[in-house]
Amino acid sequence: MRNFPEPPVVTPDCRSSLRYLCWLASGFRTPILLGAVAGIACTVAQALIPAALGEAIDAGIVGRDRPALLWWGGVILVLGVVQALTGLGQDRCGLTASLGAAYRTLQLVTAQAARLGGTLRTVASTGEVVSVGVADITQLGAALETTGRFAGAVVVIVVVAGIMLSASWQLGLVVLVGVPAMLWAVGLLLRPLHGRQQHLRDQQAELTIHAVDISSGLRVLRGIGGEAEFSRRYRRMSQRVRGAGVRVAGVEAALDAAKTLLPGLLLVAVVWLGAESVLDGRLSVGQLVAFYGYAVFLATPLRRVADGADQFTRGNVAAARVVRLLNIEPEHASGTTALPDGPLELVDPDAGLTIQPGRFVAVACATPSDAALLADRLGRHTGTAVTFGGVPLRDVPLEQVRARILVTTNEDRLFAGPLRTELDPADRPDGLPAVLEASSSRDIIEALPDGLDQAVVGAGQEFSGGQRQRLRLARALNADPEVLVLVDPTSAVDAHTEARIAERLRQARAGRTTVVFTTSPIMLNAADRVAVVVDGRVVAEGAHQGLRGDARYRPIIAREDEA
Amino acid sequence: MNTGDPVPTLPVASAREVRAQARRLAVQHRGALLGALALHACTAASGLVAPRLLGDLIGEVSRGAADVTHAVVLILVFVMAQAVLLAAAVYASARLGESVLAELREEFVDNVLALPLATVERAGTGDLVNRTTRDVDLLSRAVRQAVPDTLFAGTTIVLTVGALILVDPLLALPCLVAVPVLWAATRWYLRRARDGYLRQSASYARITDGLTDTAEGARTVEALRIAHRRTARADADIAESYQAERYTLHLRSVFLPICDVAYVLPVAATLVLGGVFYLDGLVTLAAVTTATLYVQQVIVPVDILLYWMNELQIGGASLARTLGVRGAAPAGASLPVAPAGASVPVAPAGGGGVTLDGVSFAYRAGHDVLRDVTLHVEPGERLAVVGPTGAGKSTLGRLVAGIAPPTSGTVTIDGAVLADLPLADLRSRVALVTQEHHVFAGTLRENLVMAKPSATDEELEKTLKALDAGDWVAGLGLDAAVGAGGVALSPAQAQQLALARLALADPQVLVLDEATSLLAPRTARHVERSLSAVLAGRTVIAIAHRLHTAHDADRIAVLQEGRVVELGSHDELVRAGGVYAALWRSWHG
Repeated sequence: MRNFPEPPVVTPDCRSSLRYLCWLASGFRTPILLGAVAGIACTVAQALIPAALGEAIDAGIVGRDRPALLWWGGVILVLGVVQALTGLGQDRCGLTASLGAAYRTLQLVTAQAARLGGTLRTVASTGEVVSVGVADITQLGAALETTGRFAGAVVVIVVVAGIMLSASWQLGLVVLVGVPAMLWAVGLLLRPLHGRQQHLRDQQAELTIHAVDISSGLRVLRGIGGEAEFSRRYRRMSQRVRGAGVRVAGVEAALDAAKTLLPGLLLVAVVWLGAESVLDGRLSVGQLVAFYGYAVFLATPLRRVADGADQFTRGNVAAARVVRLLNIEPEHASGTTALPDGPLELVDPDAGLTIQPGRFVAVACATPSDAALLADRLGRHTGTAVTFGGVPLRDVPLEQVRARILVTTNEDRLFAGPLRTELDPADRPDGLPAVLEASSSRDIIEALPDGLDQAVVGAGQEFSGGQRQRLRLARALNADPEVLVLVDPTSAVDAHTEARIAERLRQARAGRTTVVFTTSPIMLNAADRVAVVVDGRVVAEGAHQGLRGDARYRPIIAREDEA
Repeated sequence: MNTGDPVPTLPVASAREVRAQARRLAVQHRGALLGALALHACTAASGLVAPRLLGDLIGEVSRGAADVTHAVVLILVFVMAQAVLLAAAVYASARLGESVLAELREEFVDNVLALPLATVERAGTGDLVNRTTRDVDLLSRAVRQAVPDTLFAGTTIVLTVGALILVDPLLALPCLVAVPVLWAATRWYLRRARDGYLRQSASYARITDGLTDTAEGARTVEALRIAHRRTARADADIAESYQAERYTLHLRSVFLPICDVAYVLPVAATLVLGGVFYLDGLVTLAAVTTATLYVQQVIVPVDILLYWMNELQIGGASLARTLGVRGAAPAGASLPVAPAGASVPVAPAGGGGVTLDGVSFAYRAGHDVLRDVTLHVEPGERLAVVGPTGAGKSTLGRLVAGIAPPTSGTVTIDGAVLADLPLADLRSRVALVTQEHHVFAGTLRENLVMAKPSATDEELEKTLKALDAGDWVAGLGLDAAVGAGGVALSPAQAQQLALARLALADPQVLVLDEATSLLAPRTARHVERSLSAVLAGRTVIAIAHRLHTAHDADRIAVLQEGRVVELGSHDELVRAGGVYAALWRSWHG
């Protein structure tokens, strides 16, 4: 068996869901082929058992030959053992292919989510991504896994037809015509089933989104109540899904009846023709029993063919969702112009904002949405006319922009894992003590039983809002970018701690460029220079103390001055 | 990676609880269950007629005289009956299954809704989300397929063995050889399978967790350039999942081949022994043929039964995980299942006195966040709680809101101990709004009326207008879909929505934990004032780091390292020249 995880692959064929499935399959050619061979051997061994049974009856019982009876009894046992061993092989190969496909897709989805970055939230909800990464990969795996069984079933139908033809061509013909007719009829019935199953799946997916929503919004619900209302809403949707499930069951019941009836009719025909042939002396009793056995047995490979077709369809639907996700391109195309080295000047012509290299600049915006937009522009997280060292950011490779400019907002996530690594995105562990000091986070770490080795869980919800803010700041400082843009970094921190952070932040960023979006007088006072932004434009600039008399500046920080 | 981490997870129900639940469901749906069983039994019985008829036919044919047409017509009739009965049986069991499934998932969501927050936060939402998605799905599969198939297989096996004994008790003996083999193998397997599949489920929970982190924090991943870490995390999760998968594969590798051989064994045994009996004149040719056909035919239901044993195990594991959530809910906690509107208990007017008596609280044993806090807030009073970050302000708010019970001491509202109040009663007395802004998937209206199901549109609009949210809500319309899959609201809009919910809920006591921190300063102050106008006469406990909130309050409590170090009005505290006075000066400095 192969060992997982395998090194990531970067070139999936995403032109269509079918091509994606084929691409996945081609990566697991050996286990799929071996699985098919084992599957064929397994079902053929199974199919030979009725023939051996017929021989045992003819030669042993009707022919009254004890050694022959024992011999054919032994053959049946050996066939059973072969079937068991090849079945095992098929299971192992199937699992390799199915896990391989699932894991490979998970790797691709994770890499794609990481690559899309900020774009992801605008095109897909977390629920959708997680549903692709958890539910759809299982379907893809199952589609590949089913190939072994599918191949075995197809081949065995041919083998059985061959055995029957050589025993009696009339009966063989009945089977040869009967089997495709059954397949066709089963296929007809499958069609309405697919439509309803899809409908059921969609409703189920919607139900899941709501359940996930409840789980992630539990904190809010706890504060305000509304649990009963949510329970009622969920119940309503759940009952709708129940209705859809019952409707699907209606079609499934018809399909199951057909799956019993059609082989049954074939069986009746076989028995009728066979018994007449035995009376005419053209067929032995044992052969008739074998024919009967086949007519019963054929229901299984038939069912597998139908199930296989069903599984491929589901796999295709899942692949379509995967392909949709993998085909999304980042909103902002990467440019090709390289940035010059050294500290550079950052200019937003739309806002009239100029940030000189190495300075500690505060930007006071009249509305939070202005601050968010302006920060996104400075960091090329949205369409932008911003230039860096005179080069428009949109012309620069995105990777270079990210390497030199870091925008940190309060929406940034703390990832699960030990703090020691989570606070160290750039792999510079030596920088940790200094940034913990600068962000005033030492006391947070000291209060943890395992200190820096404590694992963050659940996006750090166990920390208070202010603690999370300080940890985010520590992380951003430890990334040590040339330009650090902080959006409201201390909005949930008390005045005392904020003053300490403002002072230390200055020292920690000495010689590097720092832009802080804030309306807090403490932070504004600590900056070299304050830019005042109203309606998206810089309307005044200067030191905090000098600006205090400005009528456009006062209302922005008015909340404090009025008190 | 830290695979050995004792990451706390939500509890899993014990095997006994799962069985008790299964029994309870069986009793509750007695009628439907018996009906489905009867239909399956009739289906199986009609399936047994054909081999018998064929055996008889072969006996006659081998003697050279037979009424073939008569036998064939009879077989045809029974095949058709079997098909029709099967359809009815499948439909009946699916109806039953869907009902049970709906019941289980609804109960599950109710249990989730009653979960203590601290438990969810410690276990991580990934575990919970995984239970809501993967486990509910696996459970659906088990109920939709495993349960009906098991019913079918069980009845078929019982009836086939009965028919075999009817043919000739002597011929029923050879098929007994398989019983001890199958029994031992199944026992060996089932003992190990439960834990194996639980471990497998847990490994998928980690995968979900990791992917949720990556998707939720995609922008952060991009900004910090840590994509390689996310892929490394996925690889580590894959490695763990693969380990778990290999273990269950090993279990199947032992179990399934034994089963396959054990199926063929009775066929060969019946044939050889039956043949010997026939040669010795003990049984007829017809009986040997019929018995062999029966034994061969019974393989299918036995296989189905054992196959679904596995799936039932997986389903049982999922059921244990979904039921386990109930185990995490505090004793006696249940959802208020009061119908919309009418029966929400109306809080007595003028109440709302909050008393904390010797309250301590620790998230982890030995790390007290609050230490021996004693405090009384008069009905209608506005108390501001200030103090450095990490002093325990938010924890205090959560205790007053009854979200977590204190580790020691009591929190009471008008003399009623919060920890003892039923949830519905608690909500009419106290509500909490934090800076967290989750917008629920649904319409704007649904996001609002959750706080007051009986609210009219005019009421909603009036409330929104009072909170400066009238304009943008009018622009979108109350029917606009928001949250996951809908319009994305800004954090400030989400916060206004949260405050509107609070105003609609209109509790006696409200706890505001940095509830306006995301609004622009000017808007924030205006919103706070409108909110106090809307909620005049209510007791307010406002947690704030911006001191203007404290300035506006009747009294201020200064919290430091989990203790109340100062308590009094703004002027008193400034005069006293303590911690608050120093803070106030630094604020204005």
